[in-house]
Amino acid sequence: MTTTSASILVGLDAAVRAGLDALLLSMADDEFVLGFSDSEWTGIAPLLEEDVAMTSLALDELGHARALYELLADLRADGRDADAIAYDREPAEYRHCRLVDGGRGDWADTIARRYLYDTADAARLAALDGGAWAPLAQLVAKIRREERYHLMHVGAWLERLAGGGDEARGRLIAAWERLAPNAATVFTPLPGEAALVAAGILAVPLAEAEVRWRSAIAPALARLELPMPPVTASPDCGRLERSDAFRWLWGEFTAVRRLDPTATW
Amino acid sequence: MGPRCDPVSPECRGMTDEAVGDRAAGGYERGVLEPFEVFRQEKDGGPMVHGGSVLAPDPVLALHYAREMFSRRGESIRLWVIRRADVHELDDPDLLAPPLDRSYRKPGGYVMRDKLAAARERAGTTKPKARDRSR
Amino acid sequence: MTDPLALDPVLPRAERQRLPFNAEATHSERFDAFEAHVVAGGKIEATDWMPDEYRMAVLRFVEMHANSELMGVLPEREWIMRAPTLRRKLALTAKVQDEVGHAQLLYRVAEDLGKPREAMFDDLLAGRTKFHNVFHYPTKTWADIGVIAWLVDAAAIVAQQALRDSSYAPYARTMQKICWEESVHIMHGRDVVVTLAAGTPAQREMLQEALDRWWGPLMQMHGPRSDRSKDRDLHWRIKAKTSEELRQEFLSIYVPRVWELGLTLPDPEPRLDEAAGEWRYSEPDWAELRTVVTNHGPRSEERLEFRRLARAETAWVRDAILSAPSAAA
Repeated sequence: MTTTSASILVGLDAAVRAGLDALLLSMADDEFVLGFSDSEWTGIAPLLEEDVAMTSLALDELGHARALYELLADLRADGRDADAIAYDREPAEYRHCRLVDGGRGDWADTIARRYLYDTADAARLAALDGGAWAPLAQLVAKIRREERYHLMHVGAWLERLAGGGDEARGRLIAAWERLAPNAATVFTPLPGEAALVAAGILAVPLAEAEVRWRSAIAPALARLELPMPPVTASPDCGRLERSDAFRWLWGEFTAVRRLDPTATW
Repeated sequence: MGPRCDPVSPECRGMTDEAVGDRAAGGYERGVLEPFEVFRQEKDGGPMVHGGSVLAPDPVLALHYAREMFSRRGESIRLWVIRRADVHELDDPDLLAPPLDRSYRKPGGYVMRDKLAAARERAGTTKPKARDRSR
Repeated sequence: MTDPLALDPVLPRAERQRLPFNAEATHSERFDAFEAHVVAGGKIEATDWMPDEYRMAVLRFVEMHANSELMGVLPEREWIMRAPTLRRKLALTAKVQDEVGHAQLLYRVAEDLGKPREAMFDDLLAGRTKFHNVFHYPTKTWADIGVIAWLVDAAAIVAQQALRDSSYAPYARTMQKICWEESVHIMHGRDVVVTLAAGTPAQREMLQEALDRWWGPLMQMHGPRSDRSKDRDLHWRIKAKTSEELRQEFLSIYVPRVWELGLTLPDPEPRLDEAAGEWRYSEPDWAELRTVVTNHGPRSEERLEFRRLARAETAWVRDAILSAPSAAA
């Protein structure tokens, strides 16, 4: 939080605020849920050094989630803080994309999911870079700098699994088949998106960011002989259907808080 | 942190396979887990200091792991990784600290208080005032 | 500009004469020279000559420490999922990450003494080597996380600080780095505990109940009193303090802090004997300690099995990046 709630709302009309609300919630939920999944590797990753690395990636995502929830809390200015937004909702009210909605899976699932998500997120962040609403533009600039490492690390693992012999490649392809059909749900159209584009907060609609994402990853996928993710089936539901795996996760992450939502922990 | 790279196509020296350029045309070449010594620089202008080591299958992951193990708290501003097998060591005291007198190499090997006093006496001069070191 | 005439000799005289034990000599001459060096406070590096007794003693000590950091991840890991605020989740995940990092640092020290990492994992998972008692117990509530991060880490830090001057220099250097990182963990733990202590009646009750369960294992953690003159790890200066010295240090700092929060200890006895300058306490259950560290604790087998499964499930990843199955230099 860098400015008072009142001042950051200057110049935002109702349509823009609604668009921002949907955007921030979708991004924060994406990072929160992905961060949770990846933190499940802590202590049991394939290599000790890699354990520390994957946990750092998870921590970065959770840190991004926290910053986004805090910005959303400032925007709403309704007395709910970041923790209340993150924790005090029913599963159906979370707006993360279907790509990150499944369970953690094996290492191939994690690497495939991360690669697809991090590259898509990069395109989304590029569309937000230098946007007209300063608090978000400043946050996006910082997040982009951290995300560079994610792309390097996950890219290195995609190479190693794709070229790591029959079993590794087989598992990667299987994970890709499970996850790639949902990869483009990162770009699910958001309510109020048009207002964000008109206000110069989003440089281009998310559909255009998706096009740019596809051209950016095409050379690497061609080289590694991995298929391009297909167009999303039922694109409008990309952030609505919640899996059993997510409902289980929700049960876990709200368990202590639900003992007493009014208590301080 | 250096020039900003396009986040979708990262090309930071040493941190990606393309940048290292040691990837065979057919794909990733499997290696052996070996120790890489990690050197770190703590502040601007400071020396590279040995911090420890990581096990990694190749220099790219070694650099990623060095970052994790030796800069999670932002305690390093630069990191080097070097395969332990590439380190050449000398620790023989006979070569590093040979026993015969070498005081001609050290300031402490030159004691001239008495000679100075004799020279002043002959010249009829006095010891110069101590310089004001606060300037 | 400094006046060169004013300089004291600034370059130190080389103190490290040719270490007699690194030179060619009979085994008994080398052993005696090595022992004299270590007993006088000298340091040993990985490439120095060492008598087998010393090498094995350091390896065993470091390996158990590494195993403990690795297994110590598991009790807290369950609660990473359930941390009730964003800040707690970040802090707890980072803490557990530090522990994995410490395991890495310690296994590296042990590897450089000659034992491959995979062999150490094999021995740990087969029950041939051990890990500290506290990591064999269940974590039942969020309050356990506070108690572990505060008091278990405190007891560990008391031991670790005393190891920063170990005769085995790679271990000493590692302990310096670990101690620097651990200082945050205690702050995190104490914050969780104090928040609960200042919270609702249900939270206070949760905290007291957790403390009641953890106090026994905590008191056993540093081990039974040993005879200083017979302790070989002390003789070789691998460690510098006895179990009892560590326990006394822990009690003197932390019992008052526990009482400060209005919490009680299940031990009816702890009190400071002012005259003797020592804390008196009920004798810990050493039989329980022996049972637990031989992998018969409440969660020992479950956690080892969890690790075995995780290792088996990720074997294909190691095979993907290594030219021979689980090959290591």
